Amino acid sequence: MELVVFVIAAAMVIVGALGVILRPNPVHAALSLVLTLFGVAVHFVALEAHFLAAVQVIVYAGAIVVLFLFVIMLLGVDRTEDISIEPFKVQRPMALVVGVGVIGLVTAAVSSSRDAIGRGNGLEIPTVTGDNDSNVRQIARSVFGDYVVAFELTSVLLVVAVVGTVMLTRRIKTGKGES
Amino acid sequence: MLASILAQVPWQAPSIDYHAIAPEIVLAAGIVLIILVDLFVGESKKWVTASLTGFVLLGALIPVLTLAVSDPDARSLFDGRYVIDEYALTLKALFLIAGYVVVLLSQNHVEEGDYYQGEYYTLLLTSLTGMVMMASSRDLVSIFVALEFLSIPAYMLAAWRKRDRKSNEAGVKYYLLGVFASAVMLYGMSLLYGVTGSTLLSEIGRQITVDGDFGGVHALAIVFVVVGFAFKVSAVPFHTWAPDTYEGAPTPVTAFLSVASKAAGFVALVTILYVGVPQAKDVWQPFLWVLAALTMTVGNLLALRQSNIVRMLAYSSISQGGFILMPLAVAGTGDAAGPALQAVVVYLLVYAAMNLGMFAVVIAAARTTRSGEISSFGGLFSYAPGLGVLMTIFLASLAGIPPLGGWIAKFAAFRAVLEAGNGWAYGIAVIGAVNSVIAFGYYGNVMREVWMKPAPNGETRAVATPTSLVAALTITGAATLLLGVLPGTVLRFGDLADLVGAFGR
Amino acid sequence: MSDFLRSYLTVFWFGLAALLLASLLLGIAVLVRPSRPNREKLLTYESGVDPVGDGWSQSQIRYYVFALLFVIFDVEAVFIFPWATQLERYGTFGLVEMGVFVGVLLLGLVYAWRKGVLRWV
Repeated sequence: MELVVFVIAAAMVIVGALGVILRPNPVHAALSLVLTLFGVAVHFVALEAHFLAAVQVIVYAGAIVVLFLFVIMLLGVDRTEDISIEPFKVQRPMALVVGVGVIGLVTAAVSSSRDAIGRGNGLEIPTVTGDNDSNVRQIARSVFGDYVVAFELTSVLLVVAVVGTVMLTRRIKTGKGES
Repeated sequence: MLASILAQVPWQAPSIDYHAIAPEIVLAAGIVLIILVDLFVGESKKWVTASLTGFVLLGALIPVLTLAVSDPDARSLFDGRYVIDEYALTLKALFLIAGYVVVLLSQNHVEEGDYYQGEYYTLLLTSLTGMVMMASSRDLVSIFVALEFLSIPAYMLAAWRKRDRKSNEAGVKYYLLGVFASAVMLYGMSLLYGVTGSTLLSEIGRQITVDGDFGGVHALAIVFVVVGFAFKVSAVPFHTWAPDTYEGAPTPVTAFLSVASKAAGFVALVTILYVGVPQAKDVWQPFLWVLAALTMTVGNLLALRQSNIVRMLAYSSISQGGFILMPLAVAGTGDAAGPALQAVVVYLLVYAAMNLGMFAVVIAAARTTRSGEISSFGGLFSYAPGLGVLMTIFLASLAGIPPLGGWIAKFAAFRAVLEAGNGWAYGIAVIGAVNSVIAFGYYGNVMREVWMKPAPNGETRAVATPTSLVAALTITGAATLLLGVLPGTVLRFGDLADLVGAFGR
Repeated sequence: MSDFLRSYLTVFWFGLAALLLASLLLGIAVLVRPSRPNREKLLTYESGVDPVGDGWSQSQIRYYVFALLFVIFDVEAVFIFPWATQLERYGTFGLVEMGVFVGVLLLGLVYAWRKGVLRWV
């Protein structure tokens, strides 16, 4: 059953990812991204990380993709992008070669060291706890424990994101000439 | 199982050594303060934010100094996730002083140009906070948060001249390649976490050993992390963003990116390599060797062909990065590791002083020339002797001529390389030596313009240099001279730079 | 199959039931209703404002700022949630930390408000 869930979720992720790069219409590409993110959320569920799964759906599939769509609409990309013209003739075949190469490399690396990973050094294999909000607790423990400085500074980073966006989207100051 | 045990253990608030994180607290409070001040002062009083930023940076320097003289040599917070040792303190001081100089450089530029002042300083301060945090981070999560902290404001700063196409190009290129690099690095980090089960660098260092379970995944993870930081420090072939970004961004921001941002990249790289994966040196040393050799050579050769001074400085800064990588590539472990770490820290200190100084001179001189072309600096000495002399000093220091700071930096780097004393080391030393000679070509070219050529359109009246720029020139000029004349000072800084937990100790 | 996944099976059955019900109702409607289309009926809004222009049009940048503000407070909620489930456990320390976090984020809102981007002109 885990295998079935995994295969379905993995298929969602891959089909969505292919959609993102292959769909000529940017809106469709952004919507394909939702499929990918949702597939990742299913993986999280299968790994018993409910909280992450919920966050994945709420923040990524919900909010972030909406941001993407806003940008696409903002740029007025209301037509299918013409991707038949390319400045460098070699770049597409090269991208393909590099992409396949990286996939091959990662696959070879992982399969060559399967024993090493399995032998206890790595992450704990999640166990059933029957305690459904245990990983919310674990996250709280990390946030208020070891990573409390990073957590507090994240709020500053979020504010800086607001400052930057407002600055970049505001009209140029009136009264002064253009630089 | 782990979770259910955790749920029963009573929770205890982490004991936080507030003295140890005082610089970060001062900076964060400063960011909040500047946003508030910017919101509630009128347009004519916005200059207050610049002065405030300067005060905040100096204020953050105070706890760094008190920490340096206080009792425990190294303070460790959160089980060693955040360490304040001498290495961290030296670099924190470097970042804060470099930030102060950048504020001095920015003051007139930002006031005279059509910029949002409050926001500019907010973002600058945020980026610096990330760097100060980076110096202490000994954990993948902290390093990543620090990296985003220092990069995201920098992307926006690069695109600060909103109506200028080049600045937009600079911002977009920097952003796209920057996030791509972050993604590659994050993938590497996730693999490291997956195979070791810990985000703590010292714990990763314990797990990743040559004779232990070392496989392809471990190697791949390390390579990905190194590639991510190679983008950050603009090592060839991951340098393509740098020249366009440096040229398009406002010049003070370029100075900031080429010095502080680059130094932060090196700091993180050194921490991860020395604390996290020193045992896997067979993986990262050859990789860094190739990167260092390419970076020095390609950066230099392209710098020779530039006619715009900022582009030339961009390529020169790429090439200088190669010299910083050089000791890491051959002397990462063993007896040579100490001098190598020292060489990197010394090089970063000296490079910050001379490169910021160089940009200060360019900004000051460009007030008269109104151009970034090298040919427009012709006859600088005849109408602005002070700037002409200073520019010569900084150029000579960048080229590595004794008795200036740049010479000490190169000396320390070559000494560390020769200490390693194997074939690889001699190979890179030769490449480095040849490149030092090539570098005279383009630095000398600018000097020739300054001293021998006549001023282009008969320009003889220099525009007065504002006080803040004079202060910046004084700080960087004095540092460059002193570091060269008194090499003992800076080399001792290197010695102090003892990285806790490095080399598998 | 683990107990854990089995608990999610309910979600699956529920989704399936919803899908079936919806397609059943719509399917019956298609079979039963008469079909006499005319131009008026095919308009997007049968009454009210006439739709003008293309469906795709460039949107205002203001929407983007709102969306970004939304994302930021969405992320805030993500951090608040784990804390809220165990309020007592983290006591004063948690309260102070979360207060600082929310306080700083509030500054972002104040900033956007003072800069006038929240005003819809």
